[in-house]
Amino acid sequence: MLKIQNVFKKFGEIEVLKNITLEFSSNKIIGLAGPSGSGKSTLLRCLQKLEPIDSGVIECTEKTGFMFQDFQLFPHMTVLQNLTYAPTLQRKTKDTVPEALALLKTLGLKHKETVYPNKLSGGQKQRVALARSLMMHPQILLCDEPTSGLDVATVMDIVSLLKSVKDLGVTMIIASHDLDFLTKIADQIILLKNGEIVLNTDLQTLKEDPIQCLKKYY
Amino acid sequence: MEKLISHILFIGSGVALTLQLLIGGLSMGLLLGGLFSILRYKKIATPLINRFVSVLRGTPVILQLSFIYFSTPGLVGIKLSILEAGILTFGLNSSAYIAEILRSGIESLPKGQFEASKTLQISSFYMWKDIILPQVTRNVLPSLVSEVIALLKETALIATIGGMDILRKSQTLGAEQFTYFLPLCIAGCYYYSLVLFIEYLGKKMEQRGSYA
Repeated sequence: MLKIQNVFKKFGEIEVLKNITLEFSSNKIIGLAGPSGSGKSTLLRCLQKLEPIDSGVIECTEKTGFMFQDFQLFPHMTVLQNLTYAPTLQRKTKDTVPEALALLKTLGLKHKETVYPNKLSGGQKQRVALARSLMMHPQILLCDEPTSGLDVATVMDIVSLLKSVKDLGVTMIIASHDLDFLTKIADQIILLKNGEIVLNTDLQTLKEDPIQCLKKYY
Repeated sequence: MEKLISHILFIGSGVALTLQLLIGGLSMGLLLGGLFSILRYKKIATPLINRFVSVLRGTPVILQLSFIYFSTPGLVGIKLSILEAGILTFGLNSSAYIAEILRSGIESLPKGQFEASKTLQISSFYMWKDIILPQVTRNVLPSLVSEVIALLKETALIATIGGMDILRKSQTLGAEQFTYFLPLCIAGCYYYSLVLFIEYLGKKMEQRGSYA
């Protein structure tokens, strides 16, 4: 369960999140939309406890994973080491390698295990970042702008990958300014503007063209 | 020719002390410098460490060496040997420079590397050991190699408190032979050879640490 109540967050004098109250349902893909500076990334970072909140409550009983906009793969480790390092420490076992190799195969990175991140394309880095998060077996996956800087074909790949992650029973909260991407993938859309929620709806309930409908709130 | 070989061997017998001072001082410098930079990043005892670093960088090494060798018996009642005083001085002095080098390396690393470690539930110890310091060391390796070379040359100051290192051996020989040209040239060759070796090791380490 992930629930936030009356969350406020300021950077200096600027209020980035204003009285945010939300409850996230399990096994759904939730899209956090909104223009640049609306507080999407900050909300995700607060959920992951990367930023302290000023007031309010965040209740989370499930294990979360986080995918960074700029991937933040460890550059001095190979793809396989990136995937296995943290789970090996956590589970105190070296049996993480077969799982990592199977995951890389699923994500279409079969022969990339010995490659360093600087030799990967943007889409490949994104998939490695996804695999690294999944290796920690999160129940909730927080993704910050997963399609930023990727071409259309790679975005389509990411859409199908994230949908398959949902099938594994992982709840996903995805922050993105790309409405086209979000409407393709999300079950629920939460729209933020100037740090406030201006819309929280299931995508299916939007009768007209969802992108046009969401744009009205920008 | 025989004379030249005997000169080379005599001065070469000072290499052991020079290397002991270099390795001892460098080990201590890396350990303390690493510790200082981590403590400063975590904002623990920062003003104290900053002052310590500032004093060590702001006073001559020869003064620090004399202070440690001649003042410790009076101050704390411990008489240090020349080697101990040398390692302590060069270790403390290089720790200040290494702390500064590592600080710039840590600050240049993306904040996301720390955050990624946190989100992957990597403990602070392993984060510093396996994620942060390997990247920082690689980034600052050229500066660290320069510091090692500077430290090697500074070890010649041990001669001022009677240490029989490369320089002191060459001076002794010069005084005995009434000619300094050849002994000092031989000492210079020893130092330069050691510097070339350090540079070679540095290059090898850079190649080994590249992510390609």
